[in-house]
Amino acid sequence: MKILVALKRVADPDNANKVKIPASGEKIDTTGLEWKPNPFDEYALEAALRLTENGTQPKVRAGEVVVVTFGPKETETTLRAALATGADRAIRVDASDDKLDGDLVARALKALVEKEKPDVVLMGKQAVDGDSNQVGQILAELLDWPMATFAATIREEAGALLVGREVDGGVSTLRVKLPAVVTVDLRIVAPTSVYSTKTPSTHKYNDGVRFAALPAIMAAKKKPLVEVKLADLAPDQALKVSYHGFAAPPARKAGIKVKDVSELVSKLKNEAKVL
Amino acid sequence: MSNPQASQNRYRADLREMKFLLFEQFRLGDVLGRAPFEAWGVDEASMVLDETYKFACEVLGPLNSTGDKSGCRLEGGRVLTPEGFKDAWTKLYEAGWKNVSVNPDWGGQGAPHALFALVEELLSGANTAFNMYPGLAHGAAEVIQLFGTDRQKSAFLPRLYGGQWGGTMCLTEPHAGSDVGSSRTTAKKLPDGRYQIRGTKIFISGGDHDMADNIVHLVLARVEGAPPGTKGLSLFIVPRLRVKDDGTIEGSNDVAVGSIEHKMGINGSATCVLNFGENDGCIGELVGEVENHGMAQMFKMMNGARIAVGVQGVAVASSAFLNALEYARDRKQGPSIDHWKDPTAPRVAIVEHADVRRMLLEMKAKVEGIRALIVKLALHQDMVHVHQGSDDQKAQYHQGQVDLLVPLVKAYGSDQAFRVCEMAIQTYGGAGYIKDYPVEQYCRDAKIFSIYEGTNHIQAMDLVGRKLAQRGGQNLQEFLGDVAAFVQKNQGHPTVGPYLAELGAAQEALAGTAMRMLTWFQTGRMAMVPLAANRFLEMMSAVAVGWLLLEGAVLASEKAASLPNDESSARDRAFYEGKRHAAAYYARHVLPEVRSHAEILGREDRSPLDIPTDAFASL
Ligand SMILES: Cc1cc2nc3c(=O)[nH]c(=O)nc-3n(C[C@H](O)[C@H](O)[C@H](O)COP(=O)(O)OP(=O)(O)OC[C@H]3O[C@@H](n4cnc5c(N)ncnc54)[C@H](O)[C@@H]3O)c2cc1C
Repeated sequence: MKILVALKRVADPDNANKVKIPASGEKIDTTGLEWKPNPFDEYALEAALRLTENGTQPKVRAGEVVVVTFGPKETETTLRAALATGADRAIRVDASDDKLDGDLVARALKALVEKEKPDVVLMGKQAVDGDSNQVGQILAELLDWPMATFAATIREEAGALLVGREVDGGVSTLRVKLPAVVTVDLRIVAPTSVYSTKTPSTHKYNDGVRFAALPAIMAAKKKPLVEVKLADLAPDQALKVSYHGFAAPPARKAGIKVKDVSELVSKLKNEAKVL
Repeated sequence: MSNPQASQNRYRADLREMKFLLFEQFRLGDVLGRAPFEAWGVDEASMVLDETYKFACEVLGPLNSTGDKSGCRLEGGRVLTPEGFKDAWTKLYEAGWKNVSVNPDWGGQGAPHALFALVEELLSGANTAFNMYPGLAHGAAEVIQLFGTDRQKSAFLPRLYGGQWGGTMCLTEPHAGSDVGSSRTTAKKLPDGRYQIRGTKIFISGGDHDMADNIVHLVLARVEGAPPGTKGLSLFIVPRLRVKDDGTIEGSNDVAVGSIEHKMGINGSATCVLNFGENDGCIGELVGEVENHGMAQMFKMMNGARIAVGVQGVAVASSAFLNALEYARDRKQGPSIDHWKDPTAPRVAIVEHADVRRMLLEMKAKVEGIRALIVKLALHQDMVHVHQGSDDQKAQYHQGQVDLLVPLVKAYGSDQAFRVCEMAIQTYGGAGYIKDYPVEQYCRDAKIFSIYEGTNHIQAMDLVGRKLAQRGGQNLQEFLGDVAAFVQKNQGHPTVGPYLAELGAAQEALAGTAMRMLTWFQTGRMAMVPLAANRFLEMMSAVAVGWLLLEGAVLASEKAASLPNDESSARDRAFYEGKRHAAAYYARHVLPEVRSHAEILGREDRSPLDIPTDAFASL
């Protein structure tokens, strides 16, 4: 099985308060931020690695995982880290962060998919910076491929994937024929979430994404990482989404102290109007 | 994560600071990519730190306080380690962090020691007690790699480096602690060339555990008829379970755990009484098949082990400091001193109070200075490696500095680590004394560092009795020369220049005291030497640490000046400013102590010698 994983780097979500918006409100100031891979994309990579191995023999590869990201030269750090975690090859589509939107990324990915011909495209359900939740869906539409979003479990079958999706009140299970686009949710990295046809159903993975082990870090340098021009994938670079302004969320107002319960009830009734 | 017993990770490290030391101050990049470090680049080294830190926080950190609470148990003659340790051991060897610097011939990645020292800091800081087990296995493997026969290497090394087997160092006996030479464990040569071992060792870390299939004890013992004292000691490989030539396990080797100790700290590390050959069935083989070389072989290993203890110190102290800093930014208490009379003034975070800032800066300066000294030492080790065979003079210089700095790293690193942990508790106030916060455990764990691997007085005697005189005193001269050259070169430096006078004066006071001690040796006043030794070691450490902090500050001020003056570089600017202030604090508050120590020693006071033992107290 060959899997293409789309990875995006995002401003470190643990330091989200460092994101600055200049007074003009034109765009978000990304200078000086620390970058991390989008956590949902890391989960997608973990799922892809599990699908291309026998979980009891993780050192033997049984398929290919190609990771792709869009961004400037320094995003190669994110790709190298993915290679060190176990991905086989990497592609960087040279682009500037603020000249992309979900539609353009999906169109470029479509062109890349036509070249790479993966069996599955895996990615996070959304990136935690813009929370747009679009690329997977648009890509599936453009490719006219089956799609499963918010995957919590994936089981490989011959020529198909059985995808469990957590929905209100239960789990909906879809069988998607390959090739397909799948976007993943948090639970995909639980110990029994993903099984390739080779992994015995008794096998339990460690919870969470795997660590990059030392030998893999050393081997990552020798794995191929190529650069592709955005224009070669998407000649039309017009954006569908335009941003009109950014503003920080208003600071929370200080609370007020009430004398007693009756004042509280009266305020809830008359001012907050929640009772 | 999946372990229900696991608590929260409290370990904190400052990777920016570690990378500054490696790549900016000590320019590790210059030796990477070239023999013998061809496989390494800055990217790999940096990723190793990132990933080890992740591993430390996610796998080892959550087991630190749980391991402290539950401790180890002895059941049916076997030691059971705290819940989660076995799983962590497996994950550690899968990840490969113990093999960063191991020779590629034995499955390692051959990285510089300077990188490995920081990897070790991350592992030890997250869980000191746990990391002792793989640390001792690693140490035992290094001895066999250096001195073992080819057969011993192929039988033991892959399994010791690979984590299938554990290892120990067995020196201490009930009557032989600091005085290793009075060891009573015996070895009787058997017709097949192997030896029958009999004796009791105490305080053996990792003497037994449930994480590996076998444990390889390295045991100091006296062959029948060998001379008394350290000269007659030989070193034996004594596995818990007997091993065939091909390395497969044969069965019991009559090594029994008598008991385990109940301790102040490092409670997750089993400290064992081991009885060898109670039933005359304990067989050992001689390391390298040479008798009476045990001490020399152990000494080689002890260099590494002593550096590792200094690393343990800085590891724990660093996390204590960073936790105290986090707490101090959060805890609100009292108004700013500007409004001290106004009861309605807003309460401020304690980090705003001068005395708390003093403690934080002192902790920062000591932690970062000792870490710099460790990396410096490790880099000297690496440079021996680089120059060996091509430039023997350079290799000798670097080896000399290694020998000289080892006791400093071990003793100053461990003494100051304990003090930093104590200061971290003080920074917290009452909360620091409570087990909800990590610093009280850090303090208990850290106390052992000044005792094992040779007490700090033994280190001080090693420095003044052996190391100062090595190569006719050249090692010390070269060290003093390096410091003097730095002072000379940077005298006019706009920001750091003013502090260099302190360093220069401290260096002179140190050199003067070394001369004074030499005259004690020459004029038969030997008894003065041990009285002065610990203080001398502290003086020399302060000079070394002050020098390296100031060197870092010179660099930091250059780097800060080249930053663009805008928001984007605010973090870097703050970092470099921190380096400068830490150096300034150390230069003004610690370096003057060197002069005052020199003055005290110059008075040649003998009162501890003169007071009659009966006069200490009326016991
Ligand atoms: C938790 C723990 C783990 C340990 N792990 C190991 C291990 O894995 N393997 C191992 O072999 N040992 C181990 N040890 C033993 C440790 O190395 C010894 O405790 C240490 O070397 C000191 O020996 P001692 O306890 O017998 O103290 P002593 O030697 O009795 O020393 C007591 C005091 O006297 C001083 N003193 C002793 N001799 C002299 C002298 N000649 N001149 C001046 N002062 C002197 C010492 O500095 C110290 O202050 C461990 C100990 C502990 C507590």
